[in-house]
Amino acid sequence: MACAEAMNQDDIDADVTDRMLLQRMSTGDRAALNVLYRGYHGRLARFLSRLTRRPDIIDEVINDCFWIAWQKAGNFHGDSRVSTWLMGIAYRCGLKALRQHGDEPVENTDLLEQLTPDDDMDEDRELRDWLSKGLDHLSADQRVVIELVYGVGHTLDDVAVIMQCPVGTVKARLFHARVKLRNVLPALAGDSPKQKENAP
Amino acid sequence: MTFPKSSGRDCVRAWEAMPWVLQNSATQEESEWLEGHLAHCESCRTEFAQQRRLQLAMSLPTDVSIDANTGLKRLLNRLDAPDIQEAPRRSRSGNWLNRALVAVVLIQALSIGALGVKLWSSSGTPTYRTLSQEAAPSAPGAIRVVPDTAMTMADWNALLHTLRLQVVGGPNDVGAYTVAPAGPASTTPHALQQLRATRGIRLAEPITATP
Repeated sequence: MACAEAMNQDDIDADVTDRMLLQRMSTGDRAALNVLYRGYHGRLARFLSRLTRRPDIIDEVINDCFWIAWQKAGNFHGDSRVSTWLMGIAYRCGLKALRQHGDEPVENTDLLEQLTPDDDMDEDRELRDWLSKGLDHLSADQRVVIELVYGVGHTLDDVAVIMQCPVGTVKARLFHARVKLRNVLPALAGDSPKQKENAP
Repeated sequence: MTFPKSSGRDCVRAWEAMPWVLQNSATQEESEWLEGHLAHCESCRTEFAQQRRLQLAMSLPTDVSIDANTGLKRLLNRLDAPDIQEAPRRSRSGNWLNRALVAVVLIQALSIGALGVKLWSSSGTPTYRTLSQEAAPSAPGAIRVVPDTAMTMADWNALLHTLRLQVVGGPNDVGAYTVAPAGPASTTPHALQQLRATRGIRLAEPITATP
């Protein structure tokens, strides 16, 4: 099922393209870096936002992640997908950044005002709030697993590679995260008439 | 509410299959089985609907606004000056630890050096002498003299002055002084004779070298 890697054609094509970009980056091609950076920026930003809500730290971690990818592009042996490799680097950089200044106060309050985009549709905002309240009950590692499985669509094996832990640990984190969300989210949905309509 | 314990075996299987069916990584067979199970299990249908909503919410773009262009520009600037930027970055972590270790090693080296110098310098002048070693050389013509305890300091000084002698050592534990001729004009045998003849001198013996 999930452990049996079932990459669809789109995933395979995307990975082939990513490998070519890495190959070009290993020869110093900055245009390739530009393409890879823009292709992954949004995904990494969302992934890292499950670890921290500070835009300055997320920005710094993405920078560190691509700096490492640029340095190590030639060492990529293709043991995993490029996306898995990049996510793993981002995860480790994210944990390191949190250890270094996760407890520092935010100096620039404008950063926090950036958290809710003005052009957010009402429906999206409601969904975002619903999710945010649920994720507040999870640990950082549980939020990361939920993001990787539901947000990015990684398999258990991929998540184990990214988080550098056994598949059993990932299964346990996913299980506990789902149980917590199952217990919390229906109550949150009770506040929303729209949610009641959607429920079977 | 804790899920699988209160449910049947099929519900547990459905629970495990849901994320992978949602992300299309489950097999066709598993997807079809789940569809069949949901058709007659309301509890799992509710759960699956919530899982779908969770997936939808998770796939929304992040609400943290970060400008990719600015970030890319900073990255390229960083690549242009890797040595200048990375050296302090690397040294930042564990900087104090390295400094402390260097300080400890330095103090240790200085202490060992000081100890070595002290041992080397003290080894030239031992504070003891073995019986097989030669005695420290005494002044030529030295005489060991034991004055009477009743002798006054003025008499003692006058005697030494008269005989042109000077104290070069003592008094030791038994009150013996070592005196030696103050100049070439004074001769030891004469001085020895005078000393022995003086009242108040209990003992006067020439100090000879090794017997």
